[in-house]
Amino acid sequence: MEALARLAAAAADPAEAKNIAAAGSAGFAYGLAAIGPGIGIGIIFGNAIEAMARQPEAAGMVRTTMFLGIAFTEALALIGFVVFILLKYA
Amino acid sequence: MQHAVATLAGGNLVSLHWVESETTDTTMPGEMMMTTATPTAASAGVAETTGPNPISPEMKELQWGAGSFIVLFILMRLVLFPRLKKGMDARYAGIRGDHEEADAAKAGARADVVAYETALSEVRAQAATRIDAARQTLDNERQSQLASANSRIAARRAEADAQASAAKAAGRGQISEAVIAIATKATQIASGRTPDAALVKQTVTTTMESAGAQ
Amino acid sequence: MFAFEFPPINEILRWQDIFPGFNKIALIAVAATVISVSLFLIAARQDYREAPTGSRNLAEISVEFIEENIIMQTMGRDGLGWTPFLLSLFLFIYLCNVPGIIPILQMPATARMAIPIFLAIVVWFVYNATGIKHQGFFGYFKSVLFPPGVPKALYVLVTPIEFISTIVVRPFSLAVRLFANMLAGHLLLVIFALLSEALFEARDKVLIPLGILPFGMLIFLTGFEVLVGFLQAFIFTILTAVYIAGAAHPEH
Repeated sequence: MEALARLAAAAADPAEAKNIAAAGSAGFAYGLAAIGPGIGIGIIFGNAIEAMARQPEAAGMVRTTMFLGIAFTEALALIGFVVFILLKYA
Repeated sequence: MQHAVATLAGGNLVSLHWVESETTDTTMPGEMMMTTATPTAASAGVAETTGPNPISPEMKELQWGAGSFIVLFILMRLVLFPRLKKGMDARYAGIRGDHEEADAAKAGARADVVAYETALSEVRAQAATRIDAARQTLDNERQSQLASANSRIAARRAEADAQASAAKAAGRGQISEAVIAIATKATQIASGRTPDAALVKQTVTTTMESAGAQ
Repeated sequence: MFAFEFPPINEILRWQDIFPGFNKIALIAVAATVISVSLFLIAARQDYREAPTGSRNLAEISVEFIEENIIMQTMGRDGLGWTPFLLSLFLFIYLCNVPGIIPILQMPATARMAIPIFLAIVVWFVYNATGIKHQGFFGYFKSVLFPPGVPKALYVLVTPIEFISTIVVRPFSLAVRLFANMLAGHLLLVIFALLSEALFEARDKVLIPLGILPFGMLIFLTGFEVLVGFLQAFIFTILTAVYIAGAAHPEH
């Protein structure tokens, strides 16, 4: 980040400098946004597998609920992705 | 029809109208477009290197997408789904009806079997009573015939016995007479006098009886 | 070392008009409708008394998928009236996702914001209207903003959160989930396709065999996109069903 900032400062053209800074912060935005959902989806999947292994007859219900949970958790990472695009191309 | 976004509930008629013009527009050349337009799109790629942010929706895409979805939904709601569902329901109802029919047929067959079995046991019982009765009568008849035959045989035997004893008595009389005559003769020869007939007869009779007893 | 430059994103996503006001995204959207409608029209022509085959089988499987796996799991038996809406939603999204992996087309229509945002707004209207219809205007907003079973003092905190999450964030996250998933998949495919092309055509002959690696990844990701396209359509539809069910019966 610091290197990028220095690079941005060193760039003569202000538009170029803005682009470089945006690229850096966009990458950071997505990287940070992916941490939490990554852990969260792992927990959801693990628990769903455990639940399905304990009660295979409830597998259908568990799977549906698992996808719902993943959808809600994943939304955070995807918002990070959208912020990435917004920062990079806005 | 610029604002297709908010008109799902309110603007059915409007969007339907617009949409009809769209379908006539696109379905006809749709097939051609699939084949002819792709090389253009692929080779030309996209010229616009600068443009709006990729997140902001574009009006023409919004309009076409909204129109397509509304057409699909209205057709699905009014025509396509009810028709398919009616067929599915009819088939499932038919299958269920067939199942019920089969169940009813099975129950009927089972009832028939039960009726048949009761009839069979009734007939069997009847037959058994009849056989018993017949056996009874047969037995009685046999008993009576046996009895009559026995009585006949007994009568015959009695008759034969009587005849035999009569013959025996007759034979014995003849024999005793002959023996008396012989004894008289023998005594006459031996002693020269005629023995008392009554004495001889008594002696012979006692002797014969004792011999017969022995 | 080798010429690899990622093109500007609008060159990947914005398509030239085939004719004025009608581009590839519009073509895919119209094709999705035409394909769904013709599938169901052909299916309805078959004799329904026989065991379904071919297109009728496909149409009935899609109907039963919606009914068994989406409605029965979320709304229960009294939600079966929603089947046409959810079915057209599912088919439309799926058929807009699938072109992302069909050669020549190679573009999911849902990787543009237009279609997801439109569908999300439609869903927003539908579930709010359902809530108002079932519970009345004030009853619906009361059950949304003041969920029962929460201590009175917490309403200061809960009510704004509930308002934002139900009224504002839901359509946004619904649209963004679909859009961002498809866009990310599309960008991944583009990146690996460009990378393998660059390696296969590298001037340095040593690099050419290395092109196998991104190419294998490209094939794997294409297979993955098949799954993602289906899953995103499923998730959009099932979330719609959950929102409608929650608006119709707040106690669940």
